[in-house]
Amino acid sequence: DTWRYAFEEAETEVQGVFAQKFKEEIEANSDHEVQLFPFGTLGESADIMEQAQAGILQFVDQSPGFTGALIPEAQVFFVPYLLPQDEATLQEFFRNSKAINEMFPELYAEQGLELLTMFPEGEVCMTTQEEVRSPEDLDGVKFRVMTNPLLVESYNQFGATPTPLPWGEVYGALQTGIIQGQENPGFFLDSTKMYEVTEYVTCIGHNNFTTAMMANKDFYDGLSEEDQKLVENATDVAFDHILDYQAGLQDKSLENIKSAKPGMTINILSEEERQPFMDTAPAVEDAFIEMTGESGKEILEQMKADLEAANAATN
Amino acid sequence: MAWTVFSVMIVLLLLGFPMMIPLLAGTLTGFMMIFGNFGQLETAVQQIIAGIRPASLIAVPMFIFAADIMTRGQSAGRLIDMVMSFVGHLKGGLAVSTAAACTMFGAVSGSTQATVVAVGSPLRPRMLEAGYKDSFVLALIVNSSDIAFLIPPSIGMIIYGVVSNTSIAELFIAGIGPGLLILLCFSIFSVIYAVRNDVPTEPKAAWAARFKAVQKALWPMGFPAIIIGGIYGGIFSPTEAAAACVLYALILEVLVFRELDLKGVYETAKSTGLITAVVFILVGAGAAFSWVISFAQIPQTVLGAVGIDDMGAIGVLFVISIAFFVGCMFVDPIVVILVLVPIFAPVVDAVGLDPVHVGIIITLQVAIGSATPPFGCDIFTAIAVFKRPYMEVIRGTPPFIVILLTVSVALIFFPQIALFLRDIAFN
Amino acid sequence: MLTDDTSSLPGFLGTVDLAIAKLEAIMLALGVLLMALNTVANVLGRVFWESIYFSEELNRILIILITFAGISYAARHGRHIRMSAIYDTLPPWPRKLLTIFISLVTAIFMLGLAWYALQFLLTTMGRGRVLPALQIPVWITLCWVPLGFFLTGLQYVLTAIKNMIEPDIYLSTNVLEGYDNDEREV
Ligand code: NA
Ligand code: NA
Repeated sequence: DTWRYAFEEAETEVQGVFAQKFKEEIEANSDHEVQLFPFGTLGESADIMEQAQAGILQFVDQSPGFTGALIPEAQVFFVPYLLPQDEATLQEFFRNSKAINEMFPELYAEQGLELLTMFPEGEVCMTTQEEVRSPEDLDGVKFRVMTNPLLVESYNQFGATPTPLPWGEVYGALQTGIIQGQENPGFFLDSTKMYEVTEYVTCIGHNNFTTAMMANKDFYDGLSEEDQKLVENATDVAFDHILDYQAGLQDKSLENIKSAKPGMTINILSEEERQPFMDTAPAVEDAFIEMTGESGKEILEQMKADLEAANAATN
Repeated sequence: MAWTVFSVMIVLLLLGFPMMIPLLAGTLTGFMMIFGNFGQLETAVQQIIAGIRPASLIAVPMFIFAADIMTRGQSAGRLIDMVMSFVGHLKGGLAVSTAAACTMFGAVSGSTQATVVAVGSPLRPRMLEAGYKDSFVLALIVNSSDIAFLIPPSIGMIIYGVVSNTSIAELFIAGIGPGLLILLCFSIFSVIYAVRNDVPTEPKAAWAARFKAVQKALWPMGFPAIIIGGIYGGIFSPTEAAAACVLYALILEVLVFRELDLKGVYETAKSTGLITAVVFILVGAGAAFSWVISFAQIPQTVLGAVGIDDMGAIGVLFVISIAFFVGCMFVDPIVVILVLVPIFAPVVDAVGLDPVHVGIIITLQVAIGSATPPFGCDIFTAIAVFKRPYMEVIRGTPPFIVILLTVSVALIFFPQIALFLRDIAFN
Repeated sequence: MLTDDTSSLPGFLGTVDLAIAKLEAIMLALGVLLMALNTVANVLGRVFWESIYFSEELNRILIILITFAGISYAARHGRHIRMSAIYDTLPPWPRKLLTIFISLVTAIFMLGLAWYALQFLLTTMGRGRVLPALQIPVWITLCWVPLGFFLTGLQYVLTAIKNMIEPDIYLSTNVLEGYDNDEREV
């Protein structure tokens, strides 16, 4: 059969690399064909999600942050400092997290989706015009964030002035000074040339951009056991591949930026410097619980337990 | 599948159906052929809505509104009187000014449609009065608006830069050379046209009269000041500049010149809404159509058949030019860039082309395609705004298209037209 | 100025038709004015205080409203864009028949899309997706879509009927064919 798989990024970005590996595995081990549809070719994130729910697409990749409009609990990935800050612990976390591997699949199933896996795309860093060492440095900085209440709350807590702006206008707005900062994962800062119009990259370890890969549930349930196994295996292979690919990707992206623009300053804040940012997390957690109620609280607590378990397992 | 769909569309188009019907019929035929029934048409509706939703499209109704207020009031007339006092005695002076105004407007607008409206609405009546034929005027406006896409800022270049991983700053600078070259060619053609058709000139204005005209235009000169100052001063984005223009136009015409009352404002808003709807339903239907094309992987099939992998650099550039030109004759430029750029990326890489050079060629083709029949969105906009029949809007187009295609070919063989400014700025 | 708004329908139906025309016109004008206000307010907010966090979403809602209230209003006034080169060369009788054919086929398309738009609305309602900033259900923003298609279809049905019973050729219920001379009207 022909299976169609849409994702939110270009074919050369993280989701695209995952999708290509998945396609390669499926096609090597079966007679099925997988067609890939990168960003924009079948619509925006919300559009391809609906098409997957309608069964037009068999597979779709959507970041939980966007899925938050459909499954409020998925916004937990916007709560800062909930994911491990170092690579090894992060991988351990994604492999074994109970929240990710057991609780979220149930929530996705209610929306007609079979959650196959979640994987990290890279640490989110800020790019700004001025140096950022502490929340005080963000005071009065108009900072572009996605229009998500929790992100807005996070940056309010960091001391910035969160400023929503359509993504297409961000580059120009940084150039002319409408805004003075924005955040994105490292590879995306590199690929979207955000460094051309800002002076500082600052990483404070507050988040690692996470995405989810899923299948239409009716489609998945209707597959033969053999084909389900095939999809599962291909997902596992692609997951391992993306974790390998991830290791060092952030460093490589930052190096790319540095060589494209030698004047760029890249600051990885120390443990101490991060502390004042970390202190703001509880306020955002409260906002999350207020938005999602009891079930959100359960997920949040499980995520914290998973974080501790991952820390314990790797240290 | 491609041929069936295109034949259905062309027949309906020629029969004189409302233009949305050929696009929708193409979409529906595509759905029928892909899914075997109409059960999935909800996705067509989804894509029609997705097509009209992008934030940057807000600039279109806002510039229509501002231009309409200015034209009904005094602002536009005073601005043009001022320009005429300087160029009215020159053969083709007004036509050259129109092309130049489109280019300047391009520096604030990323949208060719907004340029058609903002520059065309006030200038067209004046050019008709001055003795230019309407077919020439319409073609000049529609095609000069292409230049807006090449002059930064340009939405098309931003999208291309992101999709192809190319420096947007370099693209912006590289667009200026070809943009000005096209302006020069259009200007020369306009002068030749004016001389050959003996378009009458006005007597040369005395300096006293010019001074008076400048004085009368002081208030309206706030428009360029607000737009350019506001955008480059970091106060608002190009999209928001359109709304700022609306506010300033309202202040001028309602409070300063007292040319418009509240009833007039209401009527203007209503007709702006009507024009917007007429154009946007086509943008939406075009988006649904391109979804079908994209879903059925038609571009991949066609390019595979062409054998692009075995071509040299020049051959690849020609195929790219043709693909984008044809694509944009049917659907929205942004969508075409999103769909086609990733398909071409590997071969561009393989033959070692400069992605900035490719980006400028694509931007130019996209702009030309938007002004080219049958489904160019600039043509829709001109029809809706100027209320002229389809054939009249496109009648004068051929010489302009010839000029544009000549520039395109020149750009393929002489990359320096685009790259010399970039090389000065970045190396 | 758009010479509104007379109904071609008799009696009570005419009153309803006229009321719909008025409603469409108000939607169009208010939609455009609100969009300008919203965008300017967001700029002022950002410069002097902080951004209106839902500004972009509000504009998206308004553009849907304007487009779908506008397509039926445009159908009423015969303003939809078409390429009439061949059509214009035909003699009156075939032209009248073609007009009736075009109107009926267009009506079928519009009414069909109205049906699928309604299905899409119901599906969206069932899924419960919300707008990220405003946190209101997405389906609310889609309400005018099926209605707009439906009213447009209705206009084309009426145009066909009008062409069947009247001797002249009508582009729409309100407009006789031929481009009028008030083209300066925008
Ligand atoms: Na521009
Ligand atoms: Na087009």
